[in-house]
Amino acid sequence: MSKFSNEIGWIQLGKKYSDYTLEDLLGPLNEVERKYAPKRLFVSGELTIPLPSPRASIIGSRKASSKGLEATKFIAKTLVKEKAVIVSGLAEGIDTAAHETAIEEGGNTIAVLGTSLDKFYPKKNTLLQEIIMRHHLAISQFPVGYPTQRKNFVIRNRLMALISDASIIVEAGNTSGSLHQGWEALRLGRPLFIWHSILKNTDLIWTKKMLQYGAMILTDPNEVLESLPTSGRILMVTP
Amino acid sequence: MTFMKIAELEFGSLLSYTPRGHSPSSIHARNFMNLLKTEGFVKDATTGRAVLMSEWVAETIQQYGKELPFSHFFQPTTILVPAPKSSLMQPNTLWVPEKIASALAAKGIGAKVQPCLKRVNPVPKAATSLACDRPLPLHHYRSLRVVGTIPQPDEIVIVDDIITRGSTLMGAANRLADAFPESKIRAFAVMRTISNPDKFNQLIDPVIGNIELRSFGDTIRRP
Repeated sequence: MSKFSNEIGWIQLGKKYSDYTLEDLLGPLNEVERKYAPKRLFVSGELTIPLPSPRASIIGSRKASSKGLEATKFIAKTLVKEKAVIVSGLAEGIDTAAHETAIEEGGNTIAVLGTSLDKFYPKKNTLLQEIIMRHHLAISQFPVGYPTQRKNFVIRNRLMALISDASIIVEAGNTSGSLHQGWEALRLGRPLFIWHSILKNTDLIWTKKMLQYGAMILTDPNEVLESLPTSGRILMVTP
Repeated sequence: MTFMKIAELEFGSLLSYTPRGHSPSSIHARNFMNLLKTEGFVKDATTGRAVLMSEWVAETIQQYGKELPFSHFFQPTTILVPAPKSSLMQPNTLWVPEKIASALAAKGIGAKVQPCLKRVNPVPKAATSLACDRPLPLHHYRSLRVVGTIPQPDEIVIVDDIITRGSTLMGAANRLADAFPESKIRAFAVMRTISNPDKFNQLIDPVIGNIELRSFGDTIRRP
């Protein structure tokens, strides 16, 4: 249950949203980034466009353990302290903890939705979604009225990797949707971190393979900061 | 060390950065390094034009031309071989050294790109490993293979994004030397790492130097 779900008298979903290209949000894209980039994005919220940097995704299981939730809060708190924007997918569990910690710590957060902006999924995060749509930023690649389908969430995970300068998987089972984002981050050449406690779970078959393909083990959230550019995607160079 | 034919490898680099240091120029160079590793963009201060990092590198080398100490590396017949990543790669993965080599070849800097070196077993990333766990040239050599059939080139330049100690380049050079024993092999890395921030001068700092294979099996890079 989201801790924001008991607030009362909160806004109805704002009717206002904007239509952007990914280049509007992120700046120019290279060839590898363009491969799965959606042409249009629907955005609601207050964050500046182009998006502020650096941005880090914190993602993982919907049915998170208490240790996983604690780790999420610790990572998000550390990153927010250093002005990183926390990106996640508004799902239950790890995603919710990541967004909520960013808000509580006075940072910024971006929710990348697997539904169109007029839908709320999961229902229990309705209020959290409204807060994000009003004071932070919600992004969807699906136009208003677009039917919600399971595959949309997989496509959304690719977008989340593209929006994030780095991705961190805190907790994920063998069939977790977070793994799609992990593989996409590796394909994009972006840093992918696996929280160290995941490695203790010997039932997981994805960790070894992802490490072979370039994922890194994360024990200190400050290591993420070292891999993040503070300059956005375009750097001015004087001769 | 009996496998390794090459014990000294000539290298050139165009830029430098330091992983430490808080001066504006060192922070700028670190941002450049992070964007180079993800094929970000550079905006020219005078023209305002945004170009891909790899294209900016090729344009800058073309612009400086013969002034660069490593300009003789790139002859009209030189084959450019991108250095493999330390990890395995899925299809359609961003491979920055290949992007840089392609941008160079497109500007006529070298003849063409031959992506003939393949990583068959991953090695730990040097940048995130403790000094004692960093892969040595022999680990790189053992984890690399030459793939495909290409005629023996006169000259080869291995192209990489960043050089720290030069272990990857030394292992790669020795693997290529097995396949092409008559070829002259050199290396080019866009940026070199300067560990001591006091010795960092500026982003654009072209040099030519050597990577030496030491008797312990590690390397020393000069400068």
